[in-house]
Amino acid sequence: MVDLRKTGHRRYFVKPGHGWSIWMMIPTVAVLVIVIGYPVVRTFLLSRLKYNFISSAPARVVGAENYLHLANDPIFWQALLNTAVYTLGSVAIAMIIGAALSLLTEGFIGRLRVVKALMLTPWAVPFIVVAFLFRYMFEERSGIVNELLLRAGLIHEHIPWLNSAMRAMPSVMLANIWTQTPFFFLIFAAAVAGIPQEVVESARMDRAKGWTMIWHIKAPFMRGAALVGGLLMVISNFNDFAKIWAMTEGGPGYATTTLVVYVYRMAFTSYDFGYSATIGVVWLVFLVVFASVYIRAMQGAPR
Amino acid sequence: MTQRRSAGASRRRSLARLTGRTPVERVVIAVAVVIALLWSLAPIYWMLITSFKTELEATQLDPTLWPRHFTPENYAKLVGQTLPFMSFLLNSVITAFGTALITIAFSIFSGYSLSRGAYRLRGLMGYLILIVRMLPLVVLIAPLYLLLLRVRLLNTYVGLIIGYTSFALPFGAWMMKNFIDGVPKEIEEAALVDGYTRTQILLRVVLPLVMPGIFTTAAFVFIDSWNNLLYPLTFMNTMSKQTLPAGLLLSFTGQFKTDWGGMMAASTVTTIPLMVAFFAIQRSMVTGLTAGALAGE
Repeated sequence: MVDLRKTGHRRYFVKPGHGWSIWMMIPTVAVLVIVIGYPVVRTFLLSRLKYNFISSAPARVVGAENYLHLANDPIFWQALLNTAVYTLGSVAIAMIIGAALSLLTEGFIGRLRVVKALMLTPWAVPFIVVAFLFRYMFEERSGIVNELLLRAGLIHEHIPWLNSAMRAMPSVMLANIWTQTPFFFLIFAAAVAGIPQEVVESARMDRAKGWTMIWHIKAPFMRGAALVGGLLMVISNFNDFAKIWAMTEGGPGYATTTLVVYVYRMAFTSYDFGYSATIGVVWLVFLVVFASVYIRAMQGAPR
Repeated sequence: MTQRRSAGASRRRSLARLTGRTPVERVVIAVAVVIALLWSLAPIYWMLITSFKTELEATQLDPTLWPRHFTPENYAKLVGQTLPFMSFLLNSVITAFGTALITIAFSIFSGYSLSRGAYRLRGLMGYLILIVRMLPLVVLIAPLYLLLLRVRLLNTYVGLIIGYTSFALPFGAWMMKNFIDGVPKEIEEAALVDGYTRTQILLRVVLPLVMPGIFTTAAFVFIDSWNNLLYPLTFMNTMSKQTLPAGLLLSFTGQFKTDWGGMMAASTVTTIPLMVAFFAIQRSMVTGLTAGALAGE
């Protein structure tokens, strides 16, 4: 639209001689209509139905019944809360650690670059492996975490981690933080490398040191990276399925059930396609609100 | 040239800064680095070392930091008969590579159209693709399942790859748009004057210039597909058709639940291709990641 005003071809849908720009777009749009457009529309349609996929009873239209059920479903609200805790907690902590690492390794060049590369490795570990690895480390009997805590005298008996309603969420979050810290490390390292030397030098002349230097001189240069990276990771954590499902399957009870896990359970454990679609619709509405805020923020973000 | 010189100069300056610290500062930094490396690497060490332990040693009450009996038996089991690990690996490789190839083939054209096209709704199209990237896959999955069931593509590579395109294609199109935005338009204008068609320009002039971008996009798509658990778990219903994440999860929750050694050996093998992909794109990673997030015109 912006383009049209610039070129002045307001009358045309396609600028003359630019027919290629339509057919080049068609294959992608066709695929997206099938794999995204159709499922989104179908989700809306399914949400009006009482539809159990494996029961022999035919689907019937129940209108808003699913939505009323949703409003009074305590598990839905708990899942929403769990999602917020998991997403915001993991992103905030990983961001802080990542920023600290980037400042710590700021001057690391030449052979010391190896240190930076090594700090990135957790990111290259597949999610399923992260889940297995932490499941093993948090194991009650033979897990290394309990062993180390016992040897250090911090605990006096083997304690359950992933099997405890109270400790499961922090344990899963720890695994999640471990895998995504390198992402923040990387984008902050790039931001820190972009700080003009003159700024740092003149601040040093003014005897800016330690905390002041970091907070008042360097942090402002990292804000853009924090915004872009933070939002990206909020989205990806919001949608995280592999790590939680492979570690706890949302349990014990509903302690680690996030929205993703809940929707999946509804659809493929209970086969209640109607109700799972209802949760999906509410989610899509959230998303549209979030996306518009996101796009606004991105447009104003410093590059 | 000038860029390189100034980079060299700033390098010398930062080296001076690092060596110019007081001994106390240097010790503090060294300790912090050691802690950071332990945090990053200890779990990976634990995975590797456990994969060489016997089943008994891996499950014993009092874990050993170095295997008492160093054994490759966990790896031997992977190629043996106990679980169809080699099928998982093959399925993962085929679907992840397939998705990357198809995504690139489609995104080259849509990325070029989004970058250079002249039509109404182009800006809107860009935003739509950006929003679509935030869609929760789990919301799409039941309708996609019904769709694949209808066209008999459940439990096939094609079905799974179609599923994967739902996250790979919006990402790919947006990435390619950003990379093509970086190519100066003047180069194309010269080719236009010479009578090249747009398709020729794209394939002969623009593509060679965005090869690094294509490579980066493909690697990201490969990584995302390799990591995906949700789709194979839902769309594949026989064990021999599973990809690594779903196949391993199903194996190690049932029969081999406490075979930690075997689990860690399988984990190690699953990690290697992803490590290769990551280090191949390490340089362009930041550009790729943040470019994907920015809605710039």
